[in-house]
Amino acid sequence: MIKIKSRKEYFELSTARRRIVLIFMLGMFVILFAQAVKLAAFEKDKLQKESRQRQHRTLDLFPYRGKILDRNGSLLAESTPVYSIMADAALVNFKDIDPIVQAKLSKQKKQLANLLKLSIKNLNKNLKDRNKRSVPLRRNIAPDIKMKIMALKIPGISSNKVYKRFYPENGPVAHVVGFTGSDGVGQEGIEMLMNKNLAGEKGRIINRIDKNRRVVGEVQQIKLPKDGKDIRLTIDLRLQNEAYNALRKAVEKHEAISGSVVLLDAKTGEVLAMTNYPSFNPNGYNKVGDFIKNRAVTDVFEPGSTMKPISLAAALERKVVTIDTLIDTGKGPYRYEGKDIRDTHPHGKIAVKEVIKVSSNIGSAKISEKVSSNNLAAMYRKFGYGIKTGINFPGEVSGSVRKHTKWKKIDHSRASYGYGMNSTLIQTAQAYTVFANEGKLKPISLIKGDDPKISKRVLSPKTTKDILLMLESVTDDDGGTAPKAKVYGYRVAGKTGTTKKYIDGEYVKNKYIGTFVGLGPVSNPRFVMAIMIDEPLAEKGYSGGRLAGPVFSRVMSKAFEWYSIDADGLELEGVKDKKEVYANKTKL
Amino acid sequence: MKLNLILFVVLIVCALTTVNFKHLSRNSFAELDGENKNTLDLKDQQTMLRIEESSESRIEIIEKIAKHKINMYIPSKKEKKVIIR
Repeated sequence: MIKIKSRKEYFELSTARRRIVLIFMLGMFVILFAQAVKLAAFEKDKLQKESRQRQHRTLDLFPYRGKILDRNGSLLAESTPVYSIMADAALVNFKDIDPIVQAKLSKQKKQLANLLKLSIKNLNKNLKDRNKRSVPLRRNIAPDIKMKIMALKIPGISSNKVYKRFYPENGPVAHVVGFTGSDGVGQEGIEMLMNKNLAGEKGRIINRIDKNRRVVGEVQQIKLPKDGKDIRLTIDLRLQNEAYNALRKAVEKHEAISGSVVLLDAKTGEVLAMTNYPSFNPNGYNKVGDFIKNRAVTDVFEPGSTMKPISLAAALERKVVTIDTLIDTGKGPYRYEGKDIRDTHPHGKIAVKEVIKVSSNIGSAKISEKVSSNNLAAMYRKFGYGIKTGINFPGEVSGSVRKHTKWKKIDHSRASYGYGMNSTLIQTAQAYTVFANEGKLKPISLIKGDDPKISKRVLSPKTTKDILLMLESVTDDDGGTAPKAKVYGYRVAGKTGTTKKYIDGEYVKNKYIGTFVGLGPVSNPRFVMAIMIDEPLAEKGYSGGRLAGPVFSRVMSKAFEWYSIDADGLELEGVKDKKEVYANKTKL
Repeated sequence: MKLNLILFVVLIVCALTTVNFKHLSRNSFAELDGENKNTLDLKDQQTMLRIEESSESRIEIIEKIAKHKINMYIPSKKEKKVIIR
């Protein structure tokens, strides 16, 4: 007989069954707990990241790149907003069946094309593919044009703002200021040298976003952006432009390949102007080629006769000659160690002080024979030849003065008039600060606020004074090599240099480099200026005085005027008692 | 029972206040965002003005204005006077 189970008995599980169910439930809890531990302990970062990605948006905050200014605060480089006009081809529609609306749309289309400087045909072509949701119609347009375009309120037309470096002064300062690449990083010049300071530091912010990815709040500002610092150069824009224009005129007049100018403040060592012609437009896109380099610091050339005063200074310092010692330069070439040393004209017997005035190679060679190679080479190095100037300009080279132990006798002689060695134009300019500072070499700087450096004594004040007077005679109408360098009302001094170009191991006929290094006013020198003209047309004259003298005169006269330098060269005989006189002596 | 009711009312008030403050916070944020954009726009305008000022104050332009508008000219050697100190 079958026993019928009561309801209680029917639903009562056996002990085994109960245990199975209990274990199953415990197992489930263990699994859940393990999953919780796994999520909380091992996948915490990943899950939090995913959560943040859904709710937060991290934005980079870009800093403003610093400005580059001249010494008077004139703008040389600045980041300006420019816009790209974008079109959503699916939304832009210039067609309608209603003739009135169609006329309005056609007018809008024409206005848009005009503002974008596109033909209607090109505009249609850009908008043809309706699958393209972001077509760039034009990049780098000015804010006022962008405003006009956006005022048309054409559906599907939008604008993107980007910052572009703008160089208002173009060519004259292009080599100094340099430029940035499309990524905003400095590529040349000060932009490259001071990139870290100019660039500043990027900031970061986390915003809370809604389901439509709209920003609805700020969660955390991780880092504030730090704007780049402004850089103030020692350059004087007025003098820079004047130097550039004078240089351009000289290069074009003499059909030369190029030219460079460096103007220094002799008292502070600051670079007031440094320019090259031809130059380039830093705002343009074709910033390639040879003319991008700042040739005043990157290119070397044989300094030629501009070395003669330094060689002579070595002799005067060693007291092996005096300024009145007579040197026989002969009546033709001087045969030395199997080579001919020549002067442009025979000068016969001349005093040491005349050697600089007439720029005699023979005289310089004969004087240098009295100085040891060791002393001569040491003097060149003291003047800064073969050593970088310290302005740390990108691409600066040190030039070279060969080790004196490797000099043959002829090398010693040739070095005395600037052959067999090379230097940059800025080195040449710096070397002449010695003559402007009573024998001290002035450290030079291109950035205002650089720590002042100590000048080094190179010559005695007596030798410096003697050389300075010799250099003044170079600008004499009576036999000097650079009368064109004269500045009305001021005493100026300088030295010309004319060297044959040395290409592929030999001196090339009819290819010259003309240089002039000058300073003034002689009574209290304030400015030093070096000019180099590369490969002028030989038929039009190639001497340094003829090529560079007028550039020196023009720029110096402006420098004296703008810096209110007292005139020291006016001929004012017989007016001692008068307080006011006319500069033109016919009025006296 | 009474306490529960009070707590419920407090809860409702707190909830409404939270919603209201969130709304106000979003509004303030939108305002702040707008002001930040204005600051940027003003900075951009300042940049444009600085460039304009720089191009208008070029020495060639000053000389041109001096020459043509106020009839200034560089004195000749004859007209120059020198003061001896």
